[in-house]
Amino acid sequence: MFSLIENEVIKMISKKRLMFVLAILVVLISIFAYGQNQTLVRTKAQLSQRMGITATDDWRKLADQQLIDMKNRLDSPYMDEKSKSSSRVRMEQLQYNLDNNINPLEQSAAKFTTKFMEQAIFLFLPLLIIMLSADMVSGESSNGTIKLLLVRNVPRWKILLSKYLTLVILEVLIVFLAFVLSAIISGFFFGFGGWQAPVATGFKVLAGKLDSSSVLNVPQWQYSLMVYSLGFFVAFVVGSISFMISILVKSTAASIGIIMSTLVAGNFISFFLSDWKITRYMFMVNLRLTDYLSGSFQPIEGMNMLFSITILLGWAIASTIISFVYFTKQDILV
Amino acid sequence: MQQTAVLELTNLRKIIKGKEIVKGVNLTLYPSQIFGFLGPNGAGKTTTIRMIVGLIKPTEGSVSICGYSVAHDFVKAMSNVGCIIESPDMYKYLTGMENLLQYAAMDKTISQQRIKDVVEMVGLQHRLNDKVGTYSLGMRQRLGIAQAILSRPKLLILDEPTNGLDPAGMTEFRNLIRKLAYEEGMTVFVSSHLLLEIQQMCDIVSIIKQGRVIKTVNVQDILHDTQIEWQLSDPERAILLLAEHWNIVATQLKKNTISADISQHPLDKINEFFIREGIALTYCSTKQNTLEDLFLDLTEGDQIV
Ligand SMILES: Nc1ncnc2c1ncn2[C@@H]1O[C@H](COP(=O)(O)OP(=O)(O)OP(=O)(O)O)[C@@H](O)[C@H]1O
Ligand SMILES: [Mg+2]
Repeated sequence: MFSLIENEVIKMISKKRLMFVLAILVVLISIFAYGQNQTLVRTKAQLSQRMGITATDDWRKLADQQLIDMKNRLDSPYMDEKSKSSSRVRMEQLQYNLDNNINPLEQSAAKFTTKFMEQAIFLFLPLLIIMLSADMVSGESSNGTIKLLLVRNVPRWKILLSKYLTLVILEVLIVFLAFVLSAIISGFFFGFGGWQAPVATGFKVLAGKLDSSSVLNVPQWQYSLMVYSLGFFVAFVVGSISFMISILVKSTAASIGIIMSTLVAGNFISFFLSDWKITRYMFMVNLRLTDYLSGSFQPIEGMNMLFSITILLGWAIASTIISFVYFTKQDILV
Repeated sequence: MQQTAVLELTNLRKIIKGKEIVKGVNLTLYPSQIFGFLGPNGAGKTTTIRMIVGLIKPTEGSVSICGYSVAHDFVKAMSNVGCIIESPDMYKYLTGMENLLQYAAMDKTISQQRIKDVVEMVGLQHRLNDKVGTYSLGMRQRLGIAQAILSRPKLLILDEPTNGLDPAGMTEFRNLIRKLAYEEGMTVFVSSHLLLEIQQMCDIVSIIKQGRVIKTVNVQDILHDTQIEWQLSDPERAILLLAEHWNIVATQLKKNTISADISQHPLDKINEFFIREGIALTYCSTKQNTLEDLFLDLTEGDQIV
């Protein structure tokens, strides 16, 4: 089994796809960090200009200003109900920050690292995983090498399991590298510290209102760890689903196309079809797990962490079962 | 002597999408036999081979390799098989050596030395560290053969193996196959639509047409052909003499050419006899293309289905 996995890893490395994915990761983190830095600078400049203060270090003033900004926006007639309640939730968080002396503006490598995964978890991270997983089986079907594997004295399920485990290893690797790379790259912009800073978590949204009764502060590193664990979980689920598609569809292009469009469609659905109850059972709208931690508002009501994790786990298990059953039974005609 | 069959196909049938592609193939092969599976395009050769190696499930019938059923004892059965199916597909982004190592990693019995030996056998040592993507078809074919024989299988299955080989490669390949079969005791199953290739290499040939084996022949029998043509000075007298002294019925083909089936009689003795009788012999030949005739007769007028 070990040598089978080793084979898969060798193939994965030789294909250069892994390097490509890592390169994308580095580039994106750099751009994101640079962008964050710019935003931070601009926000500070804007606020200091508007408020006529030069000491932008006084974050409490800035936070107050943000609160006022949001309140003004809330009064705007162009805002729909949903954005309003989500704004309200944010304002309550901001208030909470003020009360507990947590500077929301201050950036640090730790904060950035967490934020990066929070932003990547529903689209970017899945895309990276898809790039690796979508051709694991279909790639071998389309170039005919699947035959080499399946005519050996190794049962089919073992071949598939070695591929699946390789994928899990890659998922761990990608999430781990996303963490390490963003911590290092953002460190150059914001300094390497911030891991001990307290972060509020445990928000609950009850009837559109933020319920901070169970909110508690955890150190940033612990929060990061939770976010990246959720990131890995999402990678695992998306990996399992796209692995299944790569078995069911013989061509790599079709396989990547199907899973990517599903994923992108999910992002539309969560905004435009959020009233449609059935959409909550789709895996694509359940990927923003980290929002439950930070207390961000969910587009579809009635969903919570447990619900989303159960749904995602269900998808992963179902995909894996289908993968193994189909793969061990199918006729190989390539 | 009762040998155990290396390969046994029993009433093998396959229906794909409602179309019967293989219609009941029976076959038994013993050690050291070189078997030719001859048939026109679309006859069902590759489909049969896919069933043998378990890539597709037979609709009916069974395959057993060295006594192990492919359906029930897949791992044991496949431990005895090396094969190329349809085309020698390899990982293009790996080098030849890396491809072989991938293969070897799945079978602990393969040593580094064995890899080296096999690579030399197929004459690929100079390009072994190049990416397979840069190989020519013939080179990939050689690598495919190397990969197939790496684990010293008892049954070697080669689907269209000489596709893309140059004449020298063909000869080398034939010698290699003979060596593997007669010295190492491998049973070799070669499919082809090229008659000459099969004729030069195989001991037994099955001709398959539209999914049915229509004839199985021993190549020795038909190649030690008894149909002889002579070109000589006095055909009429020669015919007479053959009938009188050898009890052979000969017919005149052209002005100076006669032809006859000499069956068990030794050709050298007959020729000596002609010369003693004062008949000048200018040319004598065995008619070599009986298998071809057979093949064409059997498959003639067929459309590819
Ligand atoms: N996936 C498939 N779906 C439907 N029909 C198929 C499939 N694969 C093969 N066939 C049909 O099965 C028949 C036999 O195909 P097969 O590949 O076994 O022929 P072959 O004898 O190997 O021919 P060739 O000499 O061209 O390699 C053909 O008529 C082909 O159209
Ligand atoms: Mg074929």
